[in-house]
Amino acid sequence: MLRLFLSLVLAVSFFGSFSAKAETELWGDFSGVTLRVKLIGGGQYEGLYNEVIPWWEENTGGKIEIVTQKNHFELDKEIKKDIASGNLDFCVASNHTSFASQYGNIYTDLNNIMPASVLADYTPLILEHSTVDGRLVQMPRHSDVSNLYYQKSLYEDADNKANFKAKYGYDLTPPETWDQVKDQAIFFSNPPDFYGTQYVGKEEAIAGRFYELVIANGGALFDEDYRPIFNSPAGVEALQWFIDLYNAKAVPDGVLNYLWDDTGLGFASGTIAMNLDWAGWAGFFNDPENSKVAGDIGLVRAPMGSGGLRTGWSGSHSFSMTESCPDKEAAASFLWALTSNKAQMIEARGGLSPTRPAIWDAIIAEKKAEGDEFMLMVFETFKMSLAEDAFTPPLIPEWIEFTNALYPELQAAILGDKSPEDALATASKKATEIMEDAGYF
Amino acid sequence: MRKFLNGPWVLLMPTLIILTCVVLLPLLLSLWTSFTPFKLTKPDTLYRFVGFRNYERLIGDLDFWIAFGRTVLFLAIALNLELVFGLGIALLINKITYGQRTLRTLMMFPMMFSPILVGFQWKYIFNDNIGLMNNFLREFGVIQPIPWLVDGILANVSIMAAEIWSSTSVFAILLLAGLLGIPKDPIEAAKVDGCNSWQVFKNITLPFLMPFVFIAMTIRSLDVARAYDIVQMMTGGGPAKRTELLWTLISRTGYVDAKMGMANAMSYISIFLSIAFTFFFFYKLIEARQRLSYE
Repeated sequence: MLRLFLSLVLAVSFFGSFSAKAETELWGDFSGVTLRVKLIGGGQYEGLYNEVIPWWEENTGGKIEIVTQKNHFELDKEIKKDIASGNLDFCVASNHTSFASQYGNIYTDLNNIMPASVLADYTPLILEHSTVDGRLVQMPRHSDVSNLYYQKSLYEDADNKANFKAKYGYDLTPPETWDQVKDQAIFFSNPPDFYGTQYVGKEEAIAGRFYELVIANGGALFDEDYRPIFNSPAGVEALQWFIDLYNAKAVPDGVLNYLWDDTGLGFASGTIAMNLDWAGWAGFFNDPENSKVAGDIGLVRAPMGSGGLRTGWSGSHSFSMTESCPDKEAAASFLWALTSNKAQMIEARGGLSPTRPAIWDAIIAEKKAEGDEFMLMVFETFKMSLAEDAFTPPLIPEWIEFTNALYPELQAAILGDKSPEDALATASKKATEIMEDAGYF
Repeated sequence: MRKFLNGPWVLLMPTLIILTCVVLLPLLLSLWTSFTPFKLTKPDTLYRFVGFRNYERLIGDLDFWIAFGRTVLFLAIALNLELVFGLGIALLINKITYGQRTLRTLMMFPMMFSPILVGFQWKYIFNDNIGLMNNFLREFGVIQPIPWLVDGILANVSIMAAEIWSSTSVFAILLLAGLLGIPKDPIEAAKVDGCNSWQVFKNITLPFLMPFVFIAMTIRSLDVARAYDIVQMMTGGGPAKRTELLWTLISRTGYVDAKMGMANAMSYISIFLSIAFTFFFFYKLIEARQRLSYE
């Protein structure tokens, strides 16, 4: 529990041009305390630290020492090495709902640290996703889900409309299903100058995209005992979607080496018609200095699979506190500051999806007042998507290891080295071994 | 005791202690972990002995042996090409009478780049969409982009090109040192006797150079067998494991999947590859030196 000197006040926070809902603040006097922190780095993430760290230091007298700032996959490796060496000499670290379950008990249960009134400010479902084995090990920073960006002018072009209808027999409108995405991607493609769409093609990224399409097709990755069941009609159909686009040259040839930056920059280059991507790219896509499609972007909720469900692979970036942290009160205060109304408003203005309901209301009100129709559309779409479509991957420690077994098989099928059935059978066998070793059955 | 304190062992002790701490103990620890199911995220697994289970699994793991075979092939081709290019560069520079020092410095530039940077640079060159290579080929009418980093053969060729670009100068420098050390008398005598340039090179220059060739081969074989950064940056061992080498596989197993026990078992098997290459090149080195002394 927090000690008495920790100031716990209910206050109305004023920042920017709006007034948010009452927020429970978590200040205290931490003069002489230095918190060592390991943070996710990169342009999209560091703006927050530049504002929140000085704000927290000024208000508490404490100091923040950034020990590490690197991309999440490198940070993940570093923390695994720290666990192995028993060298957990930091207090706060960036985390993610997809990664958190790997780290055992190194992070403290925030249910015992954070006052209930603080936790009440976050979306309950996201807090549930931040919980591992009944322990709340993360304070959610922002949530991710993907929706479909597209070049509006392509859908307004009269020739495109007529030709598409003549070829496919239905009107050319932003797609509602993944089958329509396939048709339209093939229709728009004119390789090597222009491609209908693209997908992230390796590592956890493609495994996650496959996962959400399996769910949208009415399938699942695992049964209740974590036995793999993705080698199913829904799984084969999902994999076939990737294969068909690749064979039709509706995606760039090098797509199997693409990760998030490649797809984001690809859409901004103006050579891609449709792009399933995170909210954080919205501002970049609509910035004329960075993007050739600025001012010509439409956005729809992620389309549906054959099972009638929309894809909605989701997760949240977060911050955790180590069990070994000697200054848990100060660390709790810093965790709150990093995910406070002020912090989330800073990130929301950059297009990221907040984890506090109050900030959704605030950012939408702000964009309405500014008359920023594009960002208003972005926030309304992502708000609906997170509320109705989002689902997490299985929150188990074996998730990343499983994706490493799955993705080479997906790639082999896409490249034609194996049939989808063979590829999924091999992946299923490997997944069974991983789950058996982990003791699930 | 007095005899021990006055003997050579006392003088060797600091070295032996340091070597034990920084080489022997980590080696023994990693060997131990290869007999455990050690996971980085579960430190307690370090103490669970499972015998040869990791090795038994590896024997039946086709992915591992394909990566092993690809590493051997990659090593053999890359080393031989680096030798040919390095020898060519060294012979050309050896002929120059003006500006040789400047050229020697310039030649070492690729060695100064970090392998990660080299990987990024060549990934960009071979990018199918915005890469320099495809844009260059487009100027000559090759409209359809070539998937350099996707096609099974081309992806390995692309990685090899990066590796060769970055390290050929190692061969060139060592062989140039060898060329500068060759006595002039036998070459001049051969020319007087009517030998042409090829005969001089084949019968005099090359035998003198062979010890340098094998030293360079030994050094580079250890480097290439540990090739990781460039491959990781360019393809990550993919797609569909088409460019998977031992160290991309080992790194992913150890640090991403956190299965360090299994990764260390893989490492110990792969060490045999390095030992085999080193032994082979040392054997050839001794043979070349003996041949040289007979002649």
